[in-house]
Amino acid sequence: MFNWLEGQQYLDTGWVGVFATLMVVASILFNIRRAEKGGKNLFIRRIAGLNAIDDAIGRATEMGRPVLMVPGIGALDAISVQAVNIFAQVTKSAAQFSTPVRLCCASAAVYAYAQEVIRDVYTEQGMTDRFLPETVQFVSDQQFAFAAGVSGMIHREKVAATFLLGAFYAESLIFAETSNAVGAIQVAGSTQSTQTPFFIAACDYVLIGDEFYAASAYLTRDPVLVGSLVGQDWAKIFVACTIMLGTLGLSAELTQMTSTHRSGNKMVEVSESSEGKRTEERKKGADTVVSRIFKPYIPEEMTKDRFTREKKPVPEGAEAGGE
Amino acid sequence: MNLFPSMMAQVVEESFFKKVPGPGLYGLLALGLILGIVLCLALSRVPSNMRRWVIVGFTFLAGLPYVAAYLWPTPVAADFQTEIPRNGVEKVGFFLNQAMDPVGTITNIIQGFLLGVGFYSLVRIHYTKVKRRQENWGFSIVLLTCFVLMAVIGLWDWQMRTFVDTTGALNVRDNWTAVNYIQDFLFEGIYQQMDSAMFSMIAFFILSAAYRAFRIRSVEATVMMASALILMLNLMGALTFAQGNAIESLAANSNNMFLMNFKINTFADWLRSTMQIPAIRAIDFGVGLGALAMGLRLWLGLEKGGVT
Repeated sequence: MFNWLEGQQYLDTGWVGVFATLMVVASILFNIRRAEKGGKNLFIRRIAGLNAIDDAIGRATEMGRPVLMVPGIGALDAISVQAVNIFAQVTKSAAQFSTPVRLCCASAAVYAYAQEVIRDVYTEQGMTDRFLPETVQFVSDQQFAFAAGVSGMIHREKVAATFLLGAFYAESLIFAETSNAVGAIQVAGSTQSTQTPFFIAACDYVLIGDEFYAASAYLTRDPVLVGSLVGQDWAKIFVACTIMLGTLGLSAELTQMTSTHRSGNKMVEVSESSEGKRTEERKKGADTVVSRIFKPYIPEEMTKDRFTREKKPVPEGAEAGGE
Repeated sequence: MNLFPSMMAQVVEESFFKKVPGPGLYGLLALGLILGIVLCLALSRVPSNMRRWVIVGFTFLAGLPYVAAYLWPTPVAADFQTEIPRNGVEKVGFFLNQAMDPVGTITNIIQGFLLGVGFYSLVRIHYTKVKRRQENWGFSIVLLTCFVLMAVIGLWDWQMRTFVDTTGALNVRDNWTAVNYIQDFLFEGIYQQMDSAMFSMIAFFILSAAYRAFRIRSVEATVMMASALILMLNLMGALTFAQGNAIESLAANSNNMFLMNFKINTFADWLRSTMQIPAIRAIDFGVGLGALAMGLRLWLGLEKGGVT
């Protein structure tokens, strides 16, 4: 058994973050395993924005116009990868109707990734010749230059449907309103909570919050993805329960009187109040169990002189503090 | 501003990830180059059915330092650059912490190469448009011209400021040459102004989007309209002052303090703190969990989509 105060096992932010993360990871992996083993049919509620994909592609096919997809302006991360995965499903449907697609990237890394994914989709559909250089294109890595380039494309090509999924910032409304101006159906979703209201105001269908991450599971019904989604839901229930318990515990504790009081790094004794009024003697938020779980109280005396380390020798001729 | 001496002076200590310039470092560079070439050749010969496992392996290795650094106990108040770890736990912690920078550097180098791929895509599409006289090919000429002009002038200006001007004289406008003026005109005079113009256009887009969103067509739109109206009125000082005074007098006359809740700024605060912020936090929780699940699937090679 480790003793963190002796320097064998200690965390600068407490153990709660790591424990909660591992709980979430465990619930996700457990449910993926459960789904892979063919557990009972796992249910995903209807998501209107994803049901609209086929309608949007059908409309584009009828009008003979392209479908535009933008995976946001973020770098190649989980958000961009998820956006491109959704676009792969959209492209699959579009390829079946020979509807042209345009995928515009603001990041060169996302462009390289998306190019591989979309090319694979066309290859799987036996339509390699329909994958053109302009199907996936890099426009610019500058935010508003990218916005201007994509807006120009929306106007010139009169796209019939736009899919704006990924990390968007101030340019979100430029895309949404330009698409609206040419009469395109818009399906949008951003992981940025600041941009979601703009999409709700301007777009036909919006994926809110984690619906964006549920899209792959919803469209493919792949057991791994569905299991992962169920694991996320378990984690959400776990988080909601801890919030409820924390709220109740904090509320109950804040009504209690305390005989000790934190003053800087020291605990000092104070007198009990007899009238039950909110006075200096009442327990502070920082003294509650909930607060201490997340911010362990480590008195200065307990850390002083315990974590002194030797300094590395500085090489001759090098400037001190150059790092 | 010559960067090389200051970069040399920054190397104060040698670790597994950092080597002091010298024969050892050059040997390692040569070894890395040879290994890189061998790796590229080997990867090019990997059969397509093994591609998934190559990608999964690289992804796992790239993510491992970050996961290990998060899970491994972090030493309290440690200076990873200048201090010596005291025991085995700390040694691993120090090692993992020092691994972060090199892994990030590798990512940056790969992204640098990919930027070249992106530029190649841009030039190929627009060059083809011009060559075949496709629709709107004039715009492509403008783009290619600006692309070349900006790159040449920008690099020229950078070269002058970095390698030629060692005294910092070019920081003063009076010492500028024609190249510096052209670079300034292109970047500050044209590019930055056009960037700002695009940003300012958002104001008009907000107006048109708000007009469509706030039309009362459904219960949701009505609730949104009412909330927006309250929050907008809350920002009008004269109105909140008059309405607040009226409510205070009414509450005092009727001796009913509950009426104080109907002051516009109180109600707007309640909307923000009780309705808006919890909703945003709930959405952020969902997004965070989704990102965690997605990252986990990618790291462990469970994601079936994409290039895997």
